[in-house]
Amino acid sequence: MSKDTDRRAFLKGSVLLPALGAAACSPPATHQDDLAASAPAAATPAAADYKPAFFTPAEWAFVQAACARLIPNDANGPGALELGVPQFIDRQMGTPYGAAAAWYMQGPFFEGKPEFGYQSQLTPKQQYRLGIRAIDAWCAKTHGKVLADLDAKTQDDVLKQVEAGKVKSDDLPLDVFFTAFLLKNVMEGYFGDPMYGGNRDMAAWKMIGHPGARADFLEWVDKPAAYPYGPVDLHGRQA
Amino acid sequence: MKRAALLVLALLVAAGAAVAVTGRSLPDPKVSPAIATRTPDPRHGAYVAVLGDCAACHSVPGSPDLAGGLALPTPAGPVWSSNITPDKVHGIGVYSFTDFARLMRQGVRPNGERVLPAMPYTAYAKVSDEDLHDLYAYLMQAVPAAPTANHADGVLWFARWPIGLWNKAFHDDSRFAADPAKGASWNRGAYLVQGLAHCGTCHTPRGPAFQEKALDGRSDLFLSGARLDGASPINLRGNTADGLGRWSADDIAELLASGRSAHSAVVGQMGEVVAHSTQFMTDADRGAIAAYLKSLSPAPESGRATFAATAASLDAVMSGKQTDPGALRFMNSCSACHRLNGDGAGRALPSLAGNPTVLAQHPDTLIAVILKGARMPSTAAAPSPMAMPPFGWRYDDREVAEVASYVRQSWGNGAPSVSAGQVRAVRRALGLATPGR
Ligand code: HEC
Ligand code: HEC
Ligand code: HEC
Repeated sequence: MSKDTDRRAFLKGSVLLPALGAAACSPPATHQDDLAASAPAAATPAAADYKPAFFTPAEWAFVQAACARLIPNDANGPGALELGVPQFIDRQMGTPYGAAAAWYMQGPFFEGKPEFGYQSQLTPKQQYRLGIRAIDAWCAKTHGKVLADLDAKTQDDVLKQVEAGKVKSDDLPLDVFFTAFLLKNVMEGYFGDPMYGGNRDMAAWKMIGHPGARADFLEWVDKPAAYPYGPVDLHGRQA
Repeated sequence: MKRAALLVLALLVAAGAAVAVTGRSLPDPKVSPAIATRTPDPRHGAYVAVLGDCAACHSVPGSPDLAGGLALPTPAGPVWSSNITPDKVHGIGVYSFTDFARLMRQGVRPNGERVLPAMPYTAYAKVSDEDLHDLYAYLMQAVPAAPTANHADGVLWFARWPIGLWNKAFHDDSRFAADPAKGASWNRGAYLVQGLAHCGTCHTPRGPAFQEKALDGRSDLFLSGARLDGASPINLRGNTADGLGRWSADDIAELLASGRSAHSAVVGQMGEVVAHSTQFMTDADRGAIAAYLKSLSPAPESGRATFAATAASLDAVMSGKQTDPGALRFMNSCSACHRLNGDGAGRALPSLAGNPTVLAQHPDTLIAVILKGARMPSTAAAPSPMAMPPFGWRYDDREVAEVASYVRQSWGNGAPSVSAGQVRAVRRALGLATPGR
């Protein structure tokens, strides 16, 4: 892809920022501890008939490809795709988290050291919008195809380079996008309670032997054998 | 609190030819002539009001003390508690002491109208002239008059007529008679339990006309456990499983003072009784109540639960092979607090093993606690209001029945299992929705 495209992309990005920023500044939705409202989430939507609400078709292809490589389906257990992680992330972007509604999002914005925490003015939604575009643009330039169209080995290689900070973008630090958002959200969708829409059938918990949302295990701590019961989720369902 | 209010339905059925019988002649409350020259003690009267828990029904939040306004639903419409401050227009300011005694003993207003036995005159009839005299002085002299209007009568216009008949059939308006063979403390306890503290209005089973099946210790049905408004006040007699047979007198006194003991913690309506009345009693009075309750013989055992502690339930879970859905649900949702052995943790988290609330003949309280959770009263003796979360949003009727059955049949508890239908009935009585799935 030409330099031209890159610059246009950058401009589009800068136009996008204030608009999204305005959304991020709107008062955070009030969070209530309302048991009635916390009825079980609809079962994780199946990938086949899922229509993403946030991601564009190109972004959706990226997210699915990334999920498949970050937690692949292999001898250890099911992958992020089988557990509904792409659907989880798409719906996660529709929550107050996606708009950084509960974060301090006013300036000044500095490039701080990691120990100062997240310093960017980008919301998670903006991270995905700009991050995916930048990585796909880099893939197109380097490999002639967007990430989703590369073979698995090349995809792994690209993601490793992104994580190591070797892939640069003028819009945002892509290593931050990778570790603080993409990888983190994939793990949330994979290991989180099924009530949030991922971890279908608690398969991730079964794989690692996590007993789930029982509050306390005092009776078991001095028992030498492995914990014998399958997991339970926050809504009390057992697997 | 709805208490005895369901009475009215039966009264309507019994009404028949009642109209003629309910003449307007005022009954004689039989006050001793000596009261005419007695100087009452309003300070002691204030304590009598605590013992009688008048505020439970006559005070509502946001309204002056004792100004009434609590609705007790009955099938014939709501009965509203009255303003019993000394206001001359809206309260009882024009009541003479004889009028007051007649109301408290026979349930008849100065104008001859009958109050519903939702006002527990059935128990207050036992109260002595002196205590009533002091209570009257307290209400007239120490309670500020509140010009709060009474609610328009909510019960159907003919519902009060048959009460005269009902009183004739079931009401014993005689004073408490001390038993000279027993000590002073026992007699004090009996006087409080049968009279002022009206424990029997909740804890004694009721007959077909909603009358209490016994009003004093002469019958072993007295205080033998009942069922009301989605709750099941326990058996307070000496039965070892569903009664107080394994409790010491000190355990009972501790529960009345603090709302908790080594055996259990109060929930629901009993929490209100402790919060508003028993925690403010003197140690001597709580001790007397405990001594009296400990003297009650066991109620007939047939159909009652058993208890014989066993480690088998815990062993079955620890074996890793437990598959009973109720047991697994208990492990998932309850054991963090009540522990896998059902023992709970001291006074903070009640033990469920051998707990009379769990073992009660009617499982209504157990079901209600699981459905809507519970919070201990905060008392001077134990200020922390430890709470249990509700599970009605999480488990459907069958699932609640399974965990309730497990609790009733584990750790040595031996009570019949609970059906989904029983859970549905309590859920409906409490107005709780079934979880959406
Ligand atoms: C369980 C609830 C309850 C308790 C406890 C209770 N009352 Fe009442 N009381 C009522 C209700 C309900 C009425 C009205 C009954 C009716 O309208 O038929 C009433 C009526 C009265 C009246 C009649 C007033 C009038 O003319 O309307 C008096 C007096 C009274 N109560 C005094 C007391 C006193 C004193 C105590 C405490 C020793 C007490 N009550 C405890 C429920 C209660
Ligand atoms: C977070 C801790 C907690 C959990 C979890 C919990 N409880 Fe409780 N439970 C309590 C406390 C605290 C009380 C005392 C409440 C009171 O006295 O008002 C209580 C009271 C009870 C009582 C009444 C005991 C009595 O003495 O009257 C029963 C029965 C009960 N729980 C059963 C259960 C069951 C069944 C579950 C699981 C479905 C459960 N609890 C889960 C803390 C808990
Ligand atoms: C308003 C109705 C009501 C009155 C009045 C009442 N109780 Fe209760 N009581 C209940 C209910 C309902 C329960 C079952 C809930 C529970 O176990 O805490 C209960 C439970 C109890 C328990 C067992 C508590 C436990 O946690 O296991 C004791 C002991 C008790 N009552 C004693 C008394 C005594 C003594 C009196 C009179 C001073 C009294 N109650 C008056 C309704 C009442």
